[in-house]
Amino acid sequence: MRDFSYFRASSVDEARNAVLQAGGALLAGGTTLLDLAKCGVAEPATVVDITHLSGLGEINVDASSAVIGALARMGDVADHTQIRAAFPAVAESLSLAASAQLRNMATIGGNLLQRTRCPYFRDPATFPACNKRNPGSGCPAIGGVTRNHAVLGTSDACIATYPGDLAVALVAFDAFVDLGSRKVSVDDFFLLPGDTPDRETVLGRGEMIVGIGIPASAAARNSTYLKVRDRQSYEFAAASAAVGVELEADGKTVRDIRVALGGVATKPWRARAVEQALIGKALDVETVERASGLAMEGAVSHGGNRYKIELAPRVVARAILKMAQNVGGLA
Amino acid sequence: MTIMETRKHGDASDGMIGGRQTRFEGQLKVTGAATYALEYPVEGLAHAVLVQSTIPAGQVVSIDTSKALEAPGVLLVLTPEDDLGLTTASDWHGNRPENQPYHPLPREVRFNGESIATVIAETREQAVEAAKLLDIVYAEAPSVASLDDPNAGEGKAVDMLNVAWGDAEAALAAAPVMIEAEYSTPREYHVAMEPHGLTVKWDGDQLTVWEPSQWSHGMARSYAEWFAIPYENVRLISPFIGGGFGSKGAALAYSAVAAFAARKLGRPVKLAVTRPQNFTSYGGRAATRQTIRLGATEDGVLQAIVHRGASETSTYADWPEQTGAATSILYKVENFSSQHRIVPVNTVTPGALRGPGKNPSAYGIECAMDELAWKLGMDPLDLRLKNYADRDYQSGKPWSTRRLREALMEGAEAFGWSKRSHQPRSMREGRTLIGWGIGCGTFPVIQAPSEAMIRILGNGRVEVVSGAIDMGQGTYTILAQTAADVFGVPVSQVDVKLGDSRLPGSAIAGGSMLAGSILGAVHKAATAARDELIGLALSDANSPLRDTGANTLTFGDGRISVSRGEGPSLTLPELMAALGRDELEIRRNTLPDGATAQEHHQAWTTMAKVRGPTMGDYSMHSWCAHFAEVRVDEDFGTVRVSRMVSAFDCGRLYNPRLVESQWRGGIIMGIGQALLEEGLVDQRNGRMMNSNVGDYLVPTNSDIPDIQVISVGVPDFNASALGGKGVGEVGIVGVAPAIANAVFHATGKRVRDLPITLEKLI
Amino acid sequence: MTRTIHLSLDINGRRHELDVEPRVTLLDALREELALTGTKKGCDQGQCGACTCHVDGKRVLSCLTLAAQVEGRQITTIEGIAAENGDLHPVQAAFIENDAFQCGYCTPGQIMSAVACIREGHAGSDEEIREYMSGNLCRCGAYNSIVAAVREAAEAVR
Repeated sequence: MRDFSYFRASSVDEARNAVLQAGGALLAGGTTLLDLAKCGVAEPATVVDITHLSGLGEINVDASSAVIGALARMGDVADHTQIRAAFPAVAESLSLAASAQLRNMATIGGNLLQRTRCPYFRDPATFPACNKRNPGSGCPAIGGVTRNHAVLGTSDACIATYPGDLAVALVAFDAFVDLGSRKVSVDDFFLLPGDTPDRETVLGRGEMIVGIGIPASAAARNSTYLKVRDRQSYEFAAASAAVGVELEADGKTVRDIRVALGGVATKPWRARAVEQALIGKALDVETVERASGLAMEGAVSHGGNRYKIELAPRVVARAILKMAQNVGGLA
Repeated sequence: MTIMETRKHGDASDGMIGGRQTRFEGQLKVTGAATYALEYPVEGLAHAVLVQSTIPAGQVVSIDTSKALEAPGVLLVLTPEDDLGLTTASDWHGNRPENQPYHPLPREVRFNGESIATVIAETREQAVEAAKLLDIVYAEAPSVASLDDPNAGEGKAVDMLNVAWGDAEAALAAAPVMIEAEYSTPREYHVAMEPHGLTVKWDGDQLTVWEPSQWSHGMARSYAEWFAIPYENVRLISPFIGGGFGSKGAALAYSAVAAFAARKLGRPVKLAVTRPQNFTSYGGRAATRQTIRLGATEDGVLQAIVHRGASETSTYADWPEQTGAATSILYKVENFSSQHRIVPVNTVTPGALRGPGKNPSAYGIECAMDELAWKLGMDPLDLRLKNYADRDYQSGKPWSTRRLREALMEGAEAFGWSKRSHQPRSMREGRTLIGWGIGCGTFPVIQAPSEAMIRILGNGRVEVVSGAIDMGQGTYTILAQTAADVFGVPVSQVDVKLGDSRLPGSAIAGGSMLAGSILGAVHKAATAARDELIGLALSDANSPLRDTGANTLTFGDGRISVSRGEGPSLTLPELMAALGRDELEIRRNTLPDGATAQEHHQAWTTMAKVRGPTMGDYSMHSWCAHFAEVRVDEDFGTVRVSRMVSAFDCGRLYNPRLVESQWRGGIIMGIGQALLEEGLVDQRNGRMMNSNVGDYLVPTNSDIPDIQVISVGVPDFNASALGGKGVGEVGIVGVAPAIANAVFHATGKRVRDLPITLEKLI
Repeated sequence: MTRTIHLSLDINGRRHELDVEPRVTLLDALREELALTGTKKGCDQGQCGACTCHVDGKRVLSCLTLAAQVEGRQITTIEGIAAENGDLHPVQAAFIENDAFQCGYCTPGQIMSAVACIREGHAGSDEEIREYMSGNLCRCGAYNSIVAAVREAAEAVR
């Protein structure tokens, strides 16, 4: 790690001001920043420790929404009784992420901002070129080892997968990111790589995530997060799906359905085409499987990741069927 | 049948050989007090970090070190420009080129990730950052990324691995039933939890090295030869090793660099190899491929085996991962042909990783047998029993002991194999397909001499002293048990000192040869010490036992007494006091009588005295049969092992509790090999792209079911003095094919390239 | 030396004073500065769990924690969980009894993780233990025995 100075912020404003200095970086759980600093990807000059700020770790759930402070730990949110009841997909996405130790460290704000596991991105000594690290320098991943790379939302400049789980659940349920002075939907918060993969979010200079909000909904209450990976545990997703289903009073027809994908796209991926295809329909295996295929519209493979195009719709379908069954709506 | 039921220890018999004594050094390990190589408090340490190449082949044209040298705390930068003045050391067999200079930081780059420079600074953090400031100019040369590279070619034949008897091609052509298949395995890595590294310190021309080592004497020899100092001047200390699995048996290039830097700076140096650097600082298991053709009669009698294998090696050394090593020995067959080639590519030279040779070999033949069974419509268990080898058809020698039949039968019984339906895809729970598979394994008994010292102190404590090492196999424990057994004292009265090249010589902890070797030496020394004590007790004027008229004495329950149970009895300290001795020291080895000093040195520091499994009158091997149940998600292709029963013939078990742990450990590594582990190489530049434990996946706790292990062995006194055969290597052999065969049974899909990842099943 | 900062760390109930660069992790501070080498470095990347210790009673990875960050927190390492009189913690005893390790290198991290796992209430079944212990890799493959040890210790603590 580059030599840096350490500054412990005592207020949000102080943190914002400190991080405005050249090379300033916020330190919350540290699980991303220190990891990337060791890889040589992050080279902060000043590390601004915000873990001792008070008031940013609260979890408040009421009938209309959940509001979670940016410094709430993943583990605390995952285990929170009301979150588990009203937003099971959110809780599950956190429980299935990382390890118990990492969940005790990593914060909700930091979790959203975790960066790709692309091995080319993470090895600057061997691969100086990387459009994320060094705009315009090229993408060494294309044509390389791509088993874990994205098939959705890619560009000629970048095919790196967004690695997180929580954001996938959040984007499904129209959550927003609270930046203090403004609120941005999670979907809008994350950017597609396009020609500027170095810009991953709309977070501006001096801005800081202070919390997230998730509107309550019947779909969120009947939701799940399904994560498929090589190992049973402690691994990033090969493909994952956050799904919530609400049925009409007839107990059959879909009133509201939310579908988002992880592990396959360059940002948390809301699969609206799947949702549209199922709203107003009764759910049976064939209908669900056909609709789930729409999740892969526009998918592009780069060799080693081709399997994701097969796999992801199956994950989506399984999750939808599970949630349909959960409310007795599977024909 | 002995199913190893877990039971409470505390029984007096637990301390005897064969007892279930808990791990002797357990307290140190659970309290954090066991000290590993990089943890010794050494004053005035400087910290070295390695810089590795980022091209696969070519020349280091120049390295501009000026910025790095100006960085805070930097003491020294070493590059290929620096002549370290070292001489090439011997290989494992003791062969050494004459006066050949050794350049551990070579100018010629031979693989991506080769160490080419070192930065030494006051702190590790400073060294790491300064290393980024090196300006390296390369002239890149054409390269071959891997076995899969179209330019890799066919490589070269390894003549000594050509094995043939009968007329395999003719018998195959005549066989009514034939199968042919190609199997491949990727690069696999040891991933010992303790990364490599060392601390080195010079006092004049005396060198102390704290380094994890599977072979303290052999590695000390390398240092002595590199630096042209007497062997006695080197002391390599390694009482605890955080896992080795074959990776810690040799001093490596970075070791030489660290030792040189320490001498140059005149202060001790610590060099920690980072986890990513571990993947290219030494070789893992070579990638392999093999084609197997089996011919059989309609009723399943093997007529011929034709095997052609190849493995990856480096461009600068030949390391064959012998894909035919188990093929020749598992079944009765009158016509056999096996050949193996090595294909040089730009990689670090591969090395020994648990079950070398036998492991990929068993994967091939055991999958092929399953394919044959399917083609014949036979049960895979029946096919194996039908072709049971009554002797070693390669050497023509009888088995010393081979209870593979018992392993198959008892394993099958415990697993419930008889309930298996023949048809694939016949067991399911919802979207989960369930399958069962068998795989057999074997590993040779390798014998080597060792030396040991027994010291009995005036206070009655018994010391066992050896340069042998314990990386978790249980050396401390079984040596303590051996001494306790011989002297009839509780294990708590024994001290064991290990892991120091200054201590009596020992075989390498590798090839499953250490336990048999060192136990022989310790038992011999302990018995000699006991005999000496008896002699003294019966003859010394001050001994209360002198006038008993006995001609021998009994050691038991902590006392020494006359065999008939009458007369005085003394504790060890009482006897030592009576004899007026504060110490009795006996050193014994298992070399032939009259061995010269040079032969002693050679025996402990090279493989020259090691004996293979068929060098005597018998063919000697450990054996096992694994039974696996897998659950495959039909939609996702994910495979989970849900049940595993494995039965072993490893001869006599010196400590079943520890043996079970090693067996399970081998099986778990085999589960990783079957389902997860694969070094991913960028074919454009030969770079290993998953050189960390988040991307090179080894099993987690949640990937592993309860594993039942069964011992069917009997003592084999041809194999070792106390009747044991090797334990550590064999556990992994045959696991991957058992799982691959179970996956076929579950899904009807035959995956012939490891690991069986989900994309191969959807 | 480059810039250093003075830290006062509360480790195993004792105060430790040290001067380190701000970039020094808790893991390196323990091992290199304070001679508390029971906490192991297996990957230094948050991927293996060998460096697990407790901060304010919760299990964390010391390789991804700055020493500076935990000033004012209570840090517990493997050296601090046995009783004052040397009696082993029930988890430590259960690890020996069940042979839940071989080489011993992942063991301190496994034990620190297990102590927390039990305290968190995540040792209710073997399946739950496996999942909640999956952040601690063991290459010797002691997983079966680790599960047994955690189960046994959880019962003892209960």
